[in-house]
This record gives sequence, C-alpha cells and structure tokens, in this order.
Amino acid sequence: MKTQRTPDHLIRLTVLVMCGLVVALTAFAAVVTQPHIDSQELVGVLVLGVFALAATNSDVDARAAMGMSGNVMVLIASLVVFRYYGFFLGPILVGFFGAFDLRQLRERAWSKLAFNASAESLSLFAAAGLFWLIVGSNSATADVSQFIGVVVASTAYLGLNSMLIAIPVSLTCGEPYNRVFRQIAAFNAGGFPFAILGFGLGWVYLELGAAVVPLLLVPILIARRSFASYLELQASQEQTIETLILALEAKDPYTSGHARRVAMFAGYVGEELGFGPRRMERLRYAALMHDIGKLIVPNQLLNKPGRLTEAEFERVKRHEPVSVELLRRIDFLAPVAGDTTTEAAEAAVKGDAALIEPAIIHVADAFDAMTSTRSYRRALSQETAFSELRNGAGTQFNATAVDALICGIERRGEVYGDGHEIDTHEWAVAPPEAGTGSAGLGDFVPEEQVAGA
Amino acid sequence: MNRWARVLVLFGGGAAVALGAELAQPGTRWAALALIGGAVAAGELIELRPLYRQAIPISFAFMVVLARRATLGEAAMVLAVALLATFLVRNEPSTVEGRLALFVERFVEGMSAALVYRGMEEVFGLPMSRAQLLTALALAALAPVAIAEIARMVRERHVSVPISGRTADVALITSATLMAVSDLGVEGHGGMGLWGPAVFTIPLLAAWYSYEHLEIIRRTYDQTIHALGAAPELGGLVRDGHAERVADLCVAMANELGFSRHELEQLQTAALLHHLGQVCIDEPDDGRAPEPVAIAQAGAAVLRGTRLLAPSGDIIAAETMPFREKISSRPSVMSGQILKVASAFDELCEGRPQRASGALEALHSCPGYLYDSRVLAALEVVLDRRGLLGDERLAVNL
Repeated sequence: MKTQRTPDHLIRLTVLVMCGLVVALTAFAAVVTQPHIDSQELVGVLVLGVFALAATNSDVDARAAMGMSGNVMVLIASLVVFRYYGFFLGPILVGFFGAFDLRQLRERAWSKLAFNASAESLSLFAAAGLFWLIVGSNSATADVSQFIGVVVASTAYLGLNSMLIAIPVSLTCGEPYNRVFRQIAAFNAGGFPFAILGFGLGWVYLELGAAVVPLLLVPILIARRSFASYLELQASQEQTIETLILALEAKDPYTSGHARRVAMFAGYVGEELGFGPRRMERLRYAALMHDIGKLIVPNQLLNKPGRLTEAEFERVKRHEPVSVELLRRIDFLAPVAGDTTTEAAEAAVKGDAALIEPAIIHVADAFDAMTSTRSYRRALSQETAFSELRNGAGTQFNATAVDALICGIERRGEVYGDGHEIDTHEWAVAPPEAGTGSAGLGDFVPEEQVAGA
Repeated sequence: MNRWARVLVLFGGGAAVALGAELAQPGTRWAALALIGGAVAAGELIELRPLYRQAIPISFAFMVVLARRATLGEAAMVLAVALLATFLVRNEPSTVEGRLALFVERFVEGMSAALVYRGMEEVFGLPMSRAQLLTALALAALAPVAIAEIARMVRERHVSVPISGRTADVALITSATLMAVSDLGVEGHGGMGLWGPAVFTIPLLAAWYSYEHLEIIRRTYDQTIHALGAAPELGGLVRDGHAERVADLCVAMANELGFSRHELEQLQTAALLHHLGQVCIDEPDDGRAPEPVAIAQAGAAVLRGTRLLAPSGDIIAAETMPFREKISSRPSVMSGQILKVASAFDELCEGRPQRASGALEALHSCPGYLYDSRVLAALEVVLDRRGLLGDERLAVNL
C-alpha cells in the first residue's frame, strides 16, 4: 500500500539529505585541502563565530525586518579572512556558529537547527568555492577581482540560501515553491549591501585586527537599534489604530470586523494591482480607518432599531467628510484620503483620479457590506455581490478595482457572504432575507414590494 | 528633481571631473580628490536625522577622508567647489541667504577636520602608529560635528550641550574614522584605496535608512494622535482647537515644573485625547452634557488598550481626581492635575487669550482641594511669560 507523504515527512527527509550533503562535502573538502589548523585559524574561527552567533541572536525584531544583515556580513567576511589563511573549511565552521539561534535551542527545535546549519553550510560551500575560483589564494589585497569575487559569492550565498529555505516554508504553508522562493529571495536581497560590507569587515580584521572591528560594528548596531525603535513605534501605531477600531465597534457592534475585512479585501486588490510594500501599508491603514469618522456619531443613532429621521440621517452622514478630514491630517494617508465631492467620486469611478486607493476602499467597503448580515437584511451570496459589483463597474464602482477584487478572491478560492460570514451576531429580530438599500447600492427589492411583503 | 536625482547629479559631476583629470594627466591625485569632492557634495543631501537632535550630513565623513588625502590648500579648493555645487543644486534652505550661510558653515566644518588632522600629524610626528592614526582621524571626525553644534547654539542663541541621544554623532565619527583609515591603510600597508570609503559608507546609509523610517513613523504617529484629538471637535462636541491649546499649555506648564521629555510626551498625548471618551459614551437622553468623570473614564479605557498610550490613559483618569497633596507627587496624578488646570483654563477663556487674567483669577478662587497650587503657579508663570497677563493682573498669594 502506498503511504501518504505529509509535509512533516518531507521536511524531515529534506533535513536528512541536506545534513548528509554537508557531511560528505566537508569530508571531501578536508581530504582535498588537507587543512592544518593553527592558532591563527582557530582564533579566526572563534572570533568570527562569536560575531556570527551574536548577529543571529541579537535584536530579533530588527533582524526579522532588516533581513540577515548582521549574519551575512560576518559570513562573507569569513570568506575573505580564511582565504588569506588558505583554510577552506573556515567559513563553513563560522556558518555553523551563525546557525545557532538560541531561542530555537531553548525550544529544542532540533530539526530547525539542523536545517539552518546545513542550509548555511551548503550556501557557504557554494559561495566559498566561487570566491576561491575567482580570486585564487593570493595575499589579501583590495583589488577589482576581489570585489567581483565578493559580489559573485554574496549573490551565490543569498540565492542558494533562498532556494533551500523556500523548501520547508513551501511545504509547511502549502504554497507553490516558486512563489515562496521569490518572496524569500526578495527578502534576502535586502542583505546584499551587508554582504558587500562583509568584504570591509574581513579587511579590517586582517589589517587592523579584531580590536578595531567595533569601529565597524558600532554604526551597524546604531542602525539596528533605530530600526528596532521604528518597528516598535510602528507596532504602537498599529495598536493605536486597532484600539480605535475596537472603540468604533463598541459603538456599533453589528459592524464588528468590518474595518479589518475591508482592509483585507483592499489588500487583495492592491496585491492584484502589484502595489509595493509602502503603498500596500498605506492602503491598509486607510482602509482600516475609512469609517473612523463614525466616532462622532452618537451611539444611539448607530444602534437605533427603527428608521432614522431625516435630521438623524444627516447627522450619521457627517461621518464621511469627518473620516476624510481625519485621514487628511495624517501626511502618510492624506493622498489616499479621498474626497466626498461628487466630481471626485466620479473621477475615482472612471479612473481619472490621481490615485486609485479611494476607489479600491469604496469597492472593498461595498463588497463587505453586501456579504455581511445587517439589521435590514441578511448577507447576500458571493455571486450576487459579484454581480452587483460588475453591474456597477464604470458607473458606481471603479472597474479596475472591481475586476481585481473578484480576481483576488477567486484566485484564493475563498467564499464570503450568506452562510460563509466571518463574524456573526445574535440578532434580537432576525433580519429579513432581502431589504431596502445595501451599501449605497440602491434597492435590490422595490420599496412597494417590501411594503407589500 | 528629487533628492536622489540631485545626489546622482552631484556625485556624477565629481566622477566626470575625476575622469577628465585622469584623461588629461594620468596618475595625479586630482582624480581621487575629485571623486571625494563628488561624495562630499552628494553627502550634503543625505542627512542623519535622529529624533530630537540636529540633523548631520554624511558629507562630514567624506570630509575626513579628504582631510587625510589632501593638503590644506587642496582640501580648501575641493571643499569650495563641492559645496558650491551643492549650493547650486540643493533646495533647502529655501532662501539664498540661508544656503549661503550653510555653505560658509560647511566650509568651516570641512576645514576644521583638515586642520585637526594636520595638527595631530604635527603632534604625533610621521609615520603615525595605528593607535595614533586612529586617534588623529577620530578627532578630525569630531571637529565638524563640534562646529555644527556650536553653529546650532549660535543660531538658537541658547547654550546647551545635550549628552543623550548622540547615536548619530557616534555612527558618523566611527564610520568616518574607518573610511579614512581604510583608504590609505596603516603604517604604509593595507590601504583599500577609494573602495574602502565606498564600502564603509554602507553602515552610514543603513543608519540613515533607519533614522528616516523612524522619523516618518514618528510623524505619522504624532499626526494620528493629533487627528484623533480633533475628532470630538469635528463632531461639534468641543470648542474648536481646545485639544491643541490645552496640549500646548500642558507642555509649557510641565516644562516649568521640570518634567522629563518622556513625561512631557505622555502628558501631551493625554491632553490631545482627553475628550476622546466623549465620542465613546451614550449621550444623556435629557440633552444634558455627559458627566466629565464618565468622559474621562471612557477615554482612559480606550487608551489603556494600547501599551504606548496606557500611561496617557492613566493621566486622563487622574484628571478628574480631586487634588490631594500626599499623593500628587505620582507622575500620572501630577500630570492629571496639570491637564485639569489647563483644560479648565481653556474652558474659562473660551479659547480667547485676552480672557487669561479673568480665567486665572477664577481658578485661584476655587476651593483649595480642586486645583494643585504648584500647577496654578506654573500656569501663572507661563501666561506671564507669554504676555497674556495684562496690567490688571491680580496679585495672588499662593
């Protein structure tokens, strides 16, 4: 009987194969190069190994965002340093140090540790081989060939490392390997300048000695510290917005999760349209805060069970310009704050506006409103919502945003709407199957029909 | 032309001059000096901007490389040409006078690095040992930073030499030292040539990148708080500009009372958001204004949901507490008292500064348990300094 291979089995198999490869290649390198480890090489391994260990374990948050910057710098430095000593295995030993994430060690994540160590070693084997091939084992001088060697070796290291890391990530997440590889490679590419800096670190170590290395590490640590502060403040910004969304939902519990879902759908559209990370971040914040003006609407009006009077309706409608005004006061969000004038709305629908973001949020908002149960009607099915969006494309909604949203949802195979709602509520009076008005889409059922029903 | 285009133009200009010099007369030092000049000119537009500190350009680091490579005359010439190019290309400061003043300042800063390095050479004698060379270069790197600080104090007409938050200066001095030492090596060997300064610019650019991101998110965060502070005003629940005026007064009073920067920031946030609770609670059915305690408690509850905002939530909660001398030394309680006084003062003034004297008098007339007398004294000092207490100011015994 054929057994089903689970991702765990495949990951363990990958780790075993890679560890076997490392052992075989190390033995081969040891036989070919016949290394004579003297005190100079031992000190080199220890010093650079400690640097690599520190780089791997320092400031986890900054490391996550700044890539493998610290570690890759030390590893490329080890290529320069050990070539000078003629010690081919040096970089691989330093790579072993760099693979030891103490947090994983504490968690006894042996499989991850073994994988990381073997991935580092194999990447370094390739990098060291290419570096030696280009530069040879001449004495250390900073010339063009050495610089080219560093560039090629760094590219090989970062590229191979991305290929190897993509294997378990793709198996665990169940995402296509190519897509995961591209994401990891883009992330690793951020470490390239630091790989080049590794050349400088190697030079400082050789020419000025380990005691002068702090002159290089100090500005890097300062950069990492400010980056960590940036991440901390970014998390606070996120938390602040999250808290306000919660405050908003406390005022109007029946729209719970609406802001987050609108941000998610807007994100789908941004991804389909190929937005960069900065634009995506701006779109997400603007989508999360698109209804923030509702803060000024009295709770009684938001939760009024019956129909609103004209004056009350006007008061509720004031939340739209207030939302725009609040977003405009934040430089980062001002360009996507939108405009409540009729001309601006028409320009957004036709795609004549400078930025498409307000139109994206409008479409995402309407889709979520249609696929959520409201007091006046049950959630519509996804097909009905798609059909309403398509019907309004070009007149009520921006056609590009509509196509991108439908494409994004279908590509993910996700279903929203009646029977598939994320956040559900207990309603005192069950909402009717169909009702008047939905997300400003007009009436699905004529007034007289509702009245007659 | 955006900043990076200007950076490219300036560095490209230096590279073109270097190429021209090499073609005209191969093997002279002018090609290298022209490249360094291009880096100085371009580096002027890339500034390290740490929070709460003066920005410093990374050109200071290239000035140290120049100081080691060039004689004093050559350094003066390269600096003059490079800074003139930047003067023509940069768009900040916006006025010609401002750019001219900056040109002169930068020239003095660049020459200070060259003079200090040559001076140290005289002191140590040639050839310098590794330690002597590193000392000479570090001092040369320190010189422009020190001159820039002096220039700031002259501009602000205020002498202050803050020690904390000097990370950008440290990053610049260490990188500049390394760039200059890697260029020509130590004790006659190990020089990487201009590859060295090029490679060791990377940590400075990484620092610049981090500072820029930090500055942007700080601004976004501050603007988010200010925008949310304005929400009750946009809803017509509070008088226009109340939150901003109260925050401004709170900061001035807290400064007067010797608060730390951290405490000042928490108080400012609390002041900006002290009416946020009003938009979260139900309006009373009888049309009365909601109870201040209910507003404060609701606002505090919202802010306590965020780690960074929680201390400001405590301050808002403390705003409605009556003054008690024994417990008012606690930071949040003291800040709450300041917020209470500032908010009451603005309400009494109805946003009009000309009513300051009357409002102050009214606050002093209140029962002693209502407002902290130290806070009222600080308010009086702040108002007096702003010239808001006219001749009719009442003498108040505190």
